[in-house]
Amino acid sequence: MSGLNALWQAILVLVGGGAIGFLYKGLDRKLAARLQGRIGPPLRQPVLDVVKLLLKENVVPRTAVPWLFQAAPFLAFVAAVTALLYLPVGPLSPVLHGYGDLVLVLYLLAIPALAMALGGLASGSPYAVVGAQREIVMMMSYEFPLAIAAVGIAWRLSTLGIGPSFSLATIAANPLWGSVGPLGWIGLSLLFAALLAVTPAELSKIPFDIPEAETEIAGGLLVEYSGVNLALFYLADVIKTLVIAGLVVALFIPYGIAAPLGIAGIGGKILDILFFLVKLFVVIFVAVTVIRVSFARLKVDQVARFYLLPTTLISLAGLLLLVLDKVVMGG
Amino acid sequence: MIFKALLQQLLTKPVTNRFPAKYMPRSVVKFLGKVEKGEAKLTPPVPVTEGFRGRIAYDREKCIGCQLCIRVCPARVIEFKPEEKKIRMYVARCTYCAQCVDICPVGALSRSQDFLLADYDRFSPNLIVE
Amino acid sequence: MREARLGPEEMAEKKREKTCSTCFEVPIGPVHPALKEGIRFTFWVEGEKIKKVDIRPGFMHRGIEFMGTKRNLVQLIYLAERICGICSVSHPLALVQAVEEAAGIEVPPRAQYIRVIIGELERIHSHLLWAGVAAHELGFDTLLHYVWKIREPVLDLLEDITGNRIDYAIPIYGGVRRDIPPEKYPKLKDALRYYRSLVEDLLNFFLRDPSIEARTRNIGILTREEADALCAVGPTARASGLRKDVRQDWPYFTYPDLQVRALTPEDMGLGVRGDVYDRIMVRLLEVSQSIQIIERCLEEMPDGEITSVPKVAALLAQLKKAEGEGIGRHEAPRGEVFHYIRLEADKEAPVVWKVKAPTYSNLMSWFPMFKDQEIADIPIVAASIDPCICCMDRVHIVRGEREEVVWKEELLRLSWEKTKRVASRVTRHAPWGRKG
Repeated sequence: MSGLNALWQAILVLVGGGAIGFLYKGLDRKLAARLQGRIGPPLRQPVLDVVKLLLKENVVPRTAVPWLFQAAPFLAFVAAVTALLYLPVGPLSPVLHGYGDLVLVLYLLAIPALAMALGGLASGSPYAVVGAQREIVMMMSYEFPLAIAAVGIAWRLSTLGIGPSFSLATIAANPLWGSVGPLGWIGLSLLFAALLAVTPAELSKIPFDIPEAETEIAGGLLVEYSGVNLALFYLADVIKTLVIAGLVVALFIPYGIAAPLGIAGIGGKILDILFFLVKLFVVIFVAVTVIRVSFARLKVDQVARFYLLPTTLISLAGLLLLVLDKVVMGG
Repeated sequence: MIFKALLQQLLTKPVTNRFPAKYMPRSVVKFLGKVEKGEAKLTPPVPVTEGFRGRIAYDREKCIGCQLCIRVCPARVIEFKPEEKKIRMYVARCTYCAQCVDICPVGALSRSQDFLLADYDRFSPNLIVE
Repeated sequence: MREARLGPEEMAEKKREKTCSTCFEVPIGPVHPALKEGIRFTFWVEGEKIKKVDIRPGFMHRGIEFMGTKRNLVQLIYLAERICGICSVSHPLALVQAVEEAAGIEVPPRAQYIRVIIGELERIHSHLLWAGVAAHELGFDTLLHYVWKIREPVLDLLEDITGNRIDYAIPIYGGVRRDIPPEKYPKLKDALRYYRSLVEDLLNFFLRDPSIEARTRNIGILTREEADALCAVGPTARASGLRKDVRQDWPYFTYPDLQVRALTPEDMGLGVRGDVYDRIMVRLLEVSQSIQIIERCLEEMPDGEITSVPKVAALLAQLKKAEGEGIGRHEAPRGEVFHYIRLEADKEAPVVWKVKAPTYSNLMSWFPMFKDQEIADIPIVAASIDPCICCMDRVHIVRGEREEVVWKEELLRLSWEKTKRVASRVTRHAPWGRKG
């Protein structure tokens, strides 16, 4: 792949990803409103929000550590955008295919949360400090099941002799559901459930929005942010939503519909990309929109307990079943 | 669990009344201008009930200038005009208790159904009844 | 004035007692999304645990009692109505009882039934409003929108009966200003049937939801003993197992006939824990209790006059002649509202008017409730007593040159001074009128 070609692809993915991200954010807000019996904002509201934020003054509080406070939003945004470039879009390989794998994506996904915690600590507000503590505690609890789910899949692929097994393109091209036995099926389902449970926490959405908790700590990490900085966090959130949903799709439901329908060529590719977007939407709707309207916000100890006990156990059971499946099926 | 109620709400029309329009117009004044020209449609507010206590209506002819309404008005809305022996009401101060309606011995005051009284100027003609 | 104040060392000592050196200080309020009105909490926390709390009210003081002594009694009703927007019939109901006692005005039975009906409708809408706010404090906005959606019909009904959604302007000395004509009974009964069908849903959504239960069970506990010692009132006291209700203990209007019983969590067949969950439960139970009361009132309401003094001008004249003092109490949705009034002949305005809103009694129960809770519990625990800061604030220190905090001794001295000042306004045979 030539450098210029990659650049063009990257720009396409970023612009397209941004547009789709905004669309899905708008849909999320609209559908959440409809679930609550409200009309909700117009679909273009997220764009309007960001435009307005960009026009606003960027206030740095007197008590803040200015360089860290200013750097955190950029860090979050850049990490989220980079992660987007590692995502396989339906039948297409990731733009940065070959330059990093699943493990890198997991780390990139952790950076926006870390950046927010850093920015919060640097802002000097007691609310943000409380929010940062919560963010770190929450990250420590949900990263483990997330890692197990990712590693479990990659390991099972490697036992099937498919490699490089940690590459997202490989994982997306070789859905596991067809190549494992019944035990593996159950295992994969458990890992899928664990990953879906982690999704709202990754995105800090209710019931796991404790780092921001509007009624408790008034926006927590984001309380001192305004203007461009807040817009960057907003954009990072928009992109991160896509990345997580894309990760869920790539790991567990990477199927296309062009091949079964017998449509080949460029038409099939377009159809698969559209189908990929539909899958993204379904994942976001189920794991973010519906969840965030049907629960109360949990407390930090309850969140930690939820991820460290049931979710971790479920993911470990899933991994164990995959191992058993390997033994039964004999690789 | 609340899922059933959620699904019902997703599939039925939202309960919000879309007054004055479904989405906030960029400029309300321009929107109202458009409505006057017939280019846009105004969703009416939820209708008020029959006995609603809105802006007080004043029948100048019946008024005998007894000033009883001024005595009971809790917000000092009513001003007496001694030369004509009539009253003037500053609606911007009104609490809409309609106590003046009750005490008026000749029925010169009555409740109207008007409640869309927002204005930029508290002394605008819309907000002064005389 | 200065010499009665504490010296700087004493002040520093008192402050040290209140603060906590190893803790992190989290200020909440006077402006904060968890609070609907201005009050300042200062929490000293270790990690997420609250070690100490200090409360500083006084931001919402409006001098409403002072304003009351500048108005005649008819105007006073509408001022009392605006003490609280949510219990906007409770304060006038307590006030009219006080004035009726002072002036010896009788109230016809039908008017008493109408007062009870409006009071109970207000309880339904207030409790639903509170339930929505509580859900919002827990981050459960869906429930907020749901509850406020089903609150609309009762507001529409109140608008139909009284002419407005809140601030009903319905009680007047000697009766009520508007009748509920029999044509409106079916509408009322329909609305009651609607709410009866929803009570089960509400109980389901609030009490059988795992996330709400996780957030409210064993949170913000106020034991029965504490509630009793701190004189908590209303649902806050009842949720702690204290069967305390003005409608039961000192029945007024038609409540003696209605045999209202104070509800506690035991009426749901559960043990009393005095936590936030119990407070939600008691309020929801009271919604269905109010429905029952209104239904009975509609059945039993006799025909007849709605006021004993139909002409307002005559009423004003009668009140001007009245002399005496009176007490009015009403069980508002939040607890007991208490009004004291003193009238003198030839004075249109009351000489003394004293209001005690329910939050004033419930404020202190925040201290045991906040003990050892987490930061995340602050909004729901603060909201669980259904605070109305505007109604409650009676003092604001404006002359403090040095320190804005007034300690107990100073406050007591200032209160004595105020009482003397008020007593000097009373010219004739006041019970505490012996000056000096």
